Amino acid sequence: MLEAAELPEAQKKAIEVSGKSVLICHAPQGWFAVSNICSHANEKLECGRMKHGIIVCPVHGARFKLETGEAMSAPASKPIETFELRIVDGWVEVRV
Amino acid sequence: MNYQDRKTDKDLKAGAARCPAISTQDIIAQDKVQAPGWVRSESYEYLGSEDIDTARYIDPAFAKEEYDRLWTRTWQFACREENIPGVGDYYVYDLGSYSFIVTRVSKDEVKAYYNACLHRGTKLRASGTDGTASEFKCSFHGWSWNVDGSNKSVTCPWDFPHVNRDEYKLPEARVALLGGFVFINMDPDAPSLEDYIGPEALAHIKAWKLEDRYVALHVGRRFQCNWKLNIEAFQEAYHVIQTHPQVAPSNGDANSQYDTYGEHVNRFISTLGVVSPHLYGKVSEQDVFDQFTLGDSSALGGGGKPQLKEGETAREAMAVMFRGMFEQAFNADLSKVSDSELLDCFSYTIFPNLFLFPGISLPMVYRFRPDPKDHRASIFEVLFLRPVPKDGKRPEPAEPIMLGDNQSFTEAEGMDPGFGAIMDQDTENLFLQQEGLEASAKHGLTLGDYQEIRVRHFEKAVDKYMAMPPKRPDWKRAQP
Repeated sequence: MLEAAELPEAQKKAIEVSGKSVLICHAPQGWFAVSNICSHANEKLECGRMKHGIIVCPVHGARFKLETGEAMSAPASKPIETFELRIVDGWVEVRV
Repeated sequence: MNYQDRKTDKDLKAGAARCPAISTQDIIAQDKVQAPGWVRSESYEYLGSEDIDTARYIDPAFAKEEYDRLWTRTWQFACREENIPGVGDYYVYDLGSYSFIVTRVSKDEVKAYYNACLHRGTKLRASGTDGTASEFKCSFHGWSWNVDGSNKSVTCPWDFPHVNRDEYKLPEARVALLGGFVFINMDPDAPSLEDYIGPEALAHIKAWKLEDRYVALHVGRRFQCNWKLNIEAFQEAYHVIQTHPQVAPSNGDANSQYDTYGEHVNRFISTLGVVSPHLYGKVSEQDVFDQFTLGDSSALGGGGKPQLKEGETAREAMAVMFRGMFEQAFNADLSKVSDSELLDCFSYTIFPNLFLFPGISLPMVYRFRPDPKDHRASIFEVLFLRPVPKDGKRPEPAEPIMLGDNQSFTEAEGMDPGFGAIMDQDTENLFLQQEGLEASAKHGLTLGDYQEIRVRHFEKAVDKYMAMPPKRPDWKRAQP
């Protein structure tokens, strides 16, 4: 899906996979793949702050754990989808 | 130990009596690497001996009035600058029912907006959150503000001909930056932060260069006591021998030094690496060396503490040891730091709710806030500030860890177990004090003239603000 070297630590990138917008995150805590769409108001998460393993929606400020997708603060109450991710031969692969 | 019988005469003026032991200044004067002027000075003033009325701790009406008289007029620590390094980064600071979005609007400018939509009042960002924004958009109807506070959009503007968007900028609290801290004040008429702190204490704070530290650990917990009781438990070393007996063998507690600066700042200096006057003749220098407590003992590594050389004092050995191990642990240059700054506990209160500890071995910041739903509870936070590494690469500030009401501080990941145990001992006293004040037939606190001067000084500031009329924020006056 994506060359791992293209995404240095602390960077993230949105890609389309099987019709879904998926956010690939290279956090200091590891690699994660989550839905790029906020569960609160369907805004894109790709421009939000990623810190301490958390992605913050840039529009209304909802926060989600990258590892589990859990909603951590209002205005979101539902989780975002997470996807299995692995790195094979320098390529990031995501199961959607 | 250089013991001398100092100033115990009953004929002394009120407040002039001191512990009959070597003084803090005399201990520090014997150090090899000498301390700077801010350490080598005293500023005690006798402020009376009357009891402090306990209604302020137990009366819910008093707590309610504090929100409108005291908290709306005073400078408060909202966040560290490192929490909002880039333009658009924000941090939500809450005090009671008040809430602020503290955000960086340019490289050198930080603003603090009242965290409420000017349409129907919804919070623009949830409490306890931080992040990055290109706009602050209300999640209810979508009214939106730019990072600089100007109104960006009103949904369906045709329905709001009575709203002049130029008059609908986000209201602001005042902001001041000092030592890497972002302070806010809701009062447009308050003195500047510099005048509020006063020239002498301000010079101390500037000398510490706390902007060159970073938050290595941030732990919070709710305490079952009024916020002022919480603060005052940390304003004296008088309690050490009873509450923290494990610390006393290596802490000059009863001979700690207490100072006040103007109306809003006070401090103590409590020396480490010296025996408590309560234990003179009962412990050896080796005992002192073996039992010292660090705020962050990870710097010790896995090695134990060596034996003192013949004639060497614990304090001398600790100064040498601390300098080496902290330089290595933090990858920082401490060659110009005095022995006292390396070893001793310097505790400063900046009224109403900030404690700064500029030392190296005990490098904490405390923040205390009332629980908005319960005047008998308060929120305590401790932040450990480490020097930024020599390569200048500033680590990310630690994510706050909020403990549950019944959790031990020792359970927080990264917390030094010895320090956590001390915090637990303080916690255990505080709910008993809250309940005891409510149960007591005596309606006043009786304070020591010297060792508890910080408590009296603090409560004098409380009295000053509580004597003023209520002052609630006015959104029109709070617009730029």
